[in-house]
Amino acid sequence: MLAAVRDELGLDAGPSKLLGEWLGGLARGDAGRSWISGGEVTPSVVQALGVSLLLMAAALVVAAVTAAAVCARTLWLGAHRRLGDRSGGSVAAMTAALPEFLTASVLATAVGVHLGWLPALGWYGPRWMVLPALALGLPAGALLGRMLDDLLPGAFAEPWALAAAARGIPGRVIARQTVRRCIPGLLPNTGLFVVGLTGGAVTVEQIFDIPGLGRTTLQAAIAQDLPVLQAGTLALVLLAAVAGALARPAARLLIGPALRDGALHSLHRPKPPAPRRTPLLHGTLLLAVVVLGLARDPLALDTGARLQPPSWAHPLGTDALGRDLLARIGHGAFTTLALAVAISAAALLTGLLLGLLPRLSGPLVDTVNAVPAVLAGLLVAGVAGSGAATPAPAVAAVAWVPLAAHTTALLEQERATTHITATKGLGAGHAHLLRHELLPAVLPPVARHALLRLPAVALALTSLGFLGLGSRPPAPEWGLLLAENQPYAERAPWAVLAPAAALALLGALAVTAADGVRLPRPFAGAPRRPKPAVAPLVGETG
Amino acid sequence: MRSPRRRVVAGLLLAPVLTGCFASGGDTDVDSAEGSRLRVALAFPPAENFSPYGADATLLSRLGVTEGLTKLDANGAAAPALAESWTRENDRNWLFTLREATFQDGTEVTPATVAAALTHATEAEPVTAALSGVTLTAKKSGDRQVRVTTEDPDPALPLRLTSPGLAILSAKAYAAERVNPVGTATGPFEVTKVTGTTAATLDRFDEYWGGRAQASGVDARFIADGTARTNALRTDQVDLAEAVPVSQASTLDKGTRHETATTRTTSLLLNTKSGAFKDPKLRAAAREAVDGSVLAKDVYEGYADAGAGIFGPAVTWAADKRLEPSGRAKATDPDGTSVTIATYDNRPELPEVAQVLQQQLQKAGFKVKLEVREYSRLESDALAGEFDAFVGARNSLLDTGDPVSILASDFSCAGSYNLALLCDKKVDRAVAAAEKESDTAKRQQAAMNAEAAILATDATVPLVHQQIITGVATSVRGVTYDPYERTLIGTGTRR
Repeated sequence: MLAAVRDELGLDAGPSKLLGEWLGGLARGDAGRSWISGGEVTPSVVQALGVSLLLMAAALVVAAVTAAAVCARTLWLGAHRRLGDRSGGSVAAMTAALPEFLTASVLATAVGVHLGWLPALGWYGPRWMVLPALALGLPAGALLGRMLDDLLPGAFAEPWALAAAARGIPGRVIARQTVRRCIPGLLPNTGLFVVGLTGGAVTVEQIFDIPGLGRTTLQAAIAQDLPVLQAGTLALVLLAAVAGALARPAARLLIGPALRDGALHSLHRPKPPAPRRTPLLHGTLLLAVVVLGLARDPLALDTGARLQPPSWAHPLGTDALGRDLLARIGHGAFTTLALAVAISAAALLTGLLLGLLPRLSGPLVDTVNAVPAVLAGLLVAGVAGSGAATPAPAVAAVAWVPLAAHTTALLEQERATTHITATKGLGAGHAHLLRHELLPAVLPPVARHALLRLPAVALALTSLGFLGLGSRPPAPEWGLLLAENQPYAERAPWAVLAPAAALALLGALAVTAADGVRLPRPFAGAPRRPKPAVAPLVGETG
Repeated sequence: MRSPRRRVVAGLLLAPVLTGCFASGGDTDVDSAEGSRLRVALAFPPAENFSPYGADATLLSRLGVTEGLTKLDANGAAAPALAESWTRENDRNWLFTLREATFQDGTEVTPATVAAALTHATEAEPVTAALSGVTLTAKKSGDRQVRVTTEDPDPALPLRLTSPGLAILSAKAYAAERVNPVGTATGPFEVTKVTGTTAATLDRFDEYWGGRAQASGVDARFIADGTARTNALRTDQVDLAEAVPVSQASTLDKGTRHETATTRTTSLLLNTKSGAFKDPKLRAAAREAVDGSVLAKDVYEGYADAGAGIFGPAVTWAADKRLEPSGRAKATDPDGTSVTIATYDNRPELPEVAQVLQQQLQKAGFKVKLEVREYSRLESDALAGEFDAFVGARNSLLDTGDPVSILASDFSCAGSYNLALLCDKKVDRAVAAAEKESDTAKRQQAAMNAEAAILATDATVPLVHQQIITGVATSVRGVTYDPYERTLIGTGTRR
């Protein structure tokens, strides 16, 4: 029978000849036929790509509006030159930590079913785009908004802004120019979002029943339908290449002359942010939940008491099998965080190292970013076998990408600053520049970026669970908690809200705490700059 | 700055491009005097381009597109469909008399086309499930008859021919490389348009031999996500949603929720060939530790019956003919024996079932590890005996409608889907005896004897017999609630 299948698919010819034929066909727009359905691959993938691009575009609009909302206060204060009393950012960080599928199911149920304002599922016209675009765009916009928001004060403090204000140019004009000054640092990451949203929106596509590329590719990967998988991945890789190719000239268009002439300033904040109490508050709350939870049994099933609302006996309610949610969150904290932190650290290191070598990492970033974490998981599982340790390298393999892109963007601008020119003029060598000027400038913002992505890493780990990778039920891992309680989101909202709140708290904690973190200065004799660790730069992402 | 006019032009140019990026067929809600169209949400998208030989076969029969020579009646016996009647000429030959019927492409159903259709089915690669291990030939015999000859005596042939995989299509369907059921079947509805794996449009076939259907057509949407399917019904985007997940059932009004006992049994299969459960005493301990009624009541929220045997209450004749298994091993104390239970998450209740089982077995003294994966990533490992136990849901009559064939494929030494890796002489003897019976009642009794022999080995512990929940809008009448999950929409379905 195997021989029959091989014969039908023409597999006897051997891999190299088959790949050659496939590439040959591709030149004529023919990507072959699906092994499963027997249908032509090209039309279905093109159709799915169109759907996904449209969804991505709508999500990007939502993201832009969200980002604008996040930055609105800073812009207003900056335009009125009152940036000193600026604080906050927790809300944006919490939104950025929201898992897409949770937002999606809440929107579908609340707005779609109960209020009936918009269709709860389908993809038939503009009205159908609103909810999925919101689900995808809100967290992405919050993340981009946080990045922008952290850069703006630096830009407002630049000499030209002061000069413009002194000359009586209206505040909103200055505000517009500061945005223009800061956008180039975000462009590489926006490009990554474009590709990520196109190929990685699988859960949202499922919840809203959207025939997009993410779902098509994932189904093909699971069913081992190679022609569809090849064509889908190729489409994503091409899209990534296009997005990358567009982001670079766009950045040059915005600040090109200054980059060329080395006339940029390092985007110092006017003064380091005052140490705040908020991280303490977030941390205490999270710690309290964990400590209280640790005292309880996370595995004790009581199917008679399933989906109980919060009460004295179960302060956060119970899940679908009657287990105490507080206990599960508490016990899950360590495993969830330990792995996520380890992966984030590895990703930070890889991202920094590769980001320092833009020639090498540029194409690599574009390619790897096109591969959703789930596909990476399948690939790693194929190579390394599906052991308990497989998801970690799979997620790490894609987690470094935004950090590397960030590092590269920062580096490019930092190299064009006047103080680097000055240091060079004083006779500093490459190694000295890197160690004493570039790294101290790049490391803190990238590290904070890595922290902001911590919840996302924890979620990505879980998304591989259904491949039989990673933690298994009944382990109380946070992502798993979210996934297993998602079907009950409407009947027992507390069962998903509690772990989601824990993740959001983690996100807020990571962001606010990073403001207060003083990284040690690389060397005792480091020159000049008093507090390099709190000198975020263009591309700063919070 | 670009001029406003250029923006307008660009917008106008972009509009048709964008409409191409939406799925087609959103509001096809055209009511006419001829009866209105039904909007249906199905759970499983077509996986093989509506090939009648694979997983899509049931899809076509559920939508009322395809038919075979025979069909299953409510008692699990073969009833006339395209064949009016049949006789067994001798051990290996059956003679089927066809009724007067027309294919949806206008051609007549003749003995020659029927014989050709069956022959194509036997030549399909991979072979359709109902024909696995069977060699048959079909030849026309006179004006209205078809003679089917099997290589080995096959008393269950009429039951076998009820399989959706043995649907009869017109000659046109086989003209191309792939079998194409669009407009070539004989059922009350014909497929007119297929939109990838997202939707299909069906129109009423007016010349159907069983009378004109009441609905003028069917708009089928394939929505894999259970919550999304339920939401589609709740927001009135569809009239009928199949397989509503248990977790969503309570969100539907009582009047729109219909539960049907099915022949699908969830069981705990114990690996009899290797690992801890090779020891029958430990298998007995596991059987005694497991309580299916808790699962039925809590995990399935009452949409299931506690496990009685391999065949559940939906198999109407089974309860009266059931025998107590005899000669079971005595349970021993597990004393911390560690075992791995594997299950899949395509059916959302199964991981929950496995977790409850884990606790029940741990209370009895086992140490239990769980392995949860997507089904396609689990099956080969399970068949290779990598796990000690497997929790799975299996439709006990789906492929052939014959109770004996599932026993043979799942529990005999030569079985192709033997997840318990059972190879027991007594079981094989009982199954072989059942395979020989041709009288329906005797065959059913022999199947129950074999069931008792299998249960006596404790290779399988039936946990629950599932009910399927179909969400049906209050305006819809005449849905066929089929315990065999082969039909859904018929001539009488309307809204």
